[in-house]
This record gives sequence, C-alpha cells and structure tokens, in this order.
Amino acid sequence: MPSSVKLSDTSLKLKKAVIIAIFSAVAVVLGILESLLPTQLIIPGAKLGLANIMVLTCLYFLKGRDAFTLVILKTLLMTLLLGTFSAFLFSFLGALFSFVVMYGLMKIGRGHISLLGISVVGGVAHNIGQLTAAVIVFKTSKIFYYLPPLMLLGVVTGIFIGIAVKYVVASLSKLSIFEPFVPEN
Amino acid sequence: MKRGDLILIGVVIVAALAFFVPKWLFQNQSENMHNANVYAEISVDGKLFKKVKITKEEQLIPVKTDHGLNVLKVHDGGIEMFDADCPDKVCLSFGFVTRAGDTIVCLPHRVLVELKSESGEESDLDAVVS
Repeated sequence: MPSSVKLSDTSLKLKKAVIIAIFSAVAVVLGILESLLPTQLIIPGAKLGLANIMVLTCLYFLKGRDAFTLVILKTLLMTLLLGTFSAFLFSFLGALFSFVVMYGLMKIGRGHISLLGISVVGGVAHNIGQLTAAVIVFKTSKIFYYLPPLMLLGVVTGIFIGIAVKYVVASLSKLSIFEPFVPEN
Repeated sequence: MKRGDLILIGVVIVAALAFFVPKWLFQNQSENMHNANVYAEISVDGKLFKKVKITKEEQLIPVKTDHGLNVLKVHDGGIEMFDADCPDKVCLSFGFVTRAGDTIVCLPHRVLVELKSESGEESDLDAVVS
C-alpha cells in the first residue's frame, strides 16, 4: 500500500511541476503580447496585467508556494526577454506585493470574496509596489500622484482580468490533469 | 460577484478619490500662479543632474548617463520627453507637461523631471505640501 501512495504522490508532484511550467510560459506570452499593445497612452505606467490571469489561476488550483514559484519564474523570464536588470527590481517588487496581497485575500476571504475582487486588489497592489520602488529610488513622494488614476484604472482592468480568470478556471477544471487540484468549496 | 467583492472595490475607489480631492484643490491654486517662472529640475538616481528654465523657445536637453540616453525637449512654456532608449518607453507617454508640480519619470533610467516654480519655495503652496 505505501508504495502505491508514494507513486501517486510523485505523479502529483510531476503534474504540479508541469502545470507551473506551462502557466509560466503562458504568463510570459501574455506579458509580451501586452507590451505590444499601446495601452500606455491612457496613463503613464498603466498596464492591463494580463499575466496576472495565470498567477490567479495558479493560486486557485495550487498552493501559495507554487504560485510564488510562478511569479518568480514569470518575472525573471520577462526581464530576460524584455527588460534590463534595474527594471527587474521594479517589476519584482510590484509582482511580489501583488502576490502577497492576493494570497492573503485568498486565505482569509474564501467564500466571501470571489476571484474578481482578488484580481482587482492584486492589480492595485501591483501598482503600489512599483510606485513604492520608484519612490525609494527617486527619493521623492511626488510619484505617488500617479497612484489614484492608476487605482481607478486598476479597478476596471482588475474586473476584466477577474472575469477572464473565472472562464479559465471553469474550463481547466474539466481537464483530467487538473482534477486532483480542484479545491472543494 | 459577491458582496465581499463589492466592498473591496468600493474601498479602492473611495481611497483613490480621497487622493484626488486634495490634488484638485492643489491644482486650482497653482493655476493662479501660472505666470511665475517655472523651471525643470532633472535628477538621475536621486541626484540633481541639471536645472533648466522653461522657455517658449525650443531647446533639446540630452540626459546621458550610465543607464542610457533620454532627450528632453523644452518648448512653448512646457517640457516633454522627446526620445529615450529605455526598454518600456513609459516616459514618452507622460506627454507635454507645463504646470509646477508635474513630473516625468523614466524608471529604467532612473530619470526624474520635476517642474517647479521659482517663487514656489516660500509660497503657501509648498507649506501645504511639506
């Protein structure tokens, strides 16, 4: 008996690793796609946050540790493909803060808060993290002037990202590879 | 959408608006002293790089540092980021800024441009801010 338990255990681990790898790849592609869109024109620094779809989906199916791996992989790969090291620090602080907030809400708010609300707050947290990094570097709090418009826009994009995540989660739950990871409510 | 979502979204919107209100008041005030001499303070890595007077005449200011090159352009009583070789080009989207208190930021190159008015140092305006 113990050996069969062990076998399913390693296969679960393997599935997890594959899921994280695929999610990171999709997140990077979404990030590149987003960088091609001219969304910057509305407010400087505003982004759709498409890659957040994968982070949220990962948080839904897997544990916080796995989603954290995804966040680090995604940010590293994006930096290698698109940015420079100093840009890495900014996006990493944003991604980290957003992840911590979303993970916390996921833990506390199960049953009270849906993916939509988590997506909105995650997006806003991303902005706050990045602006905080900017304030540290520039040593002026003037940059926080950009926070309110970014927050309002973040609500709108967060709602759309949340809706997208709901669809992704619903269709992935039907796949057999995700079956062991569907959380019971 | 659950009730918790609505509460969360509500909190975010209220927080954003709470930031907006003092900003509007602040802008109305700076409208009054629009005639004051405005200059741009360009800093890199938090250190002052150059002070430039905002004029009607066109002048190009290259900001070349270890991080890369940014070109600022002063014209018609304002300043804009004209060109940059940073990867994300966010700084170009700040557009043409004219009012004291406006900023242009280039995160990858650590370049910050702040518009300040000459008489602003002693005015009530700055007393409120600091």
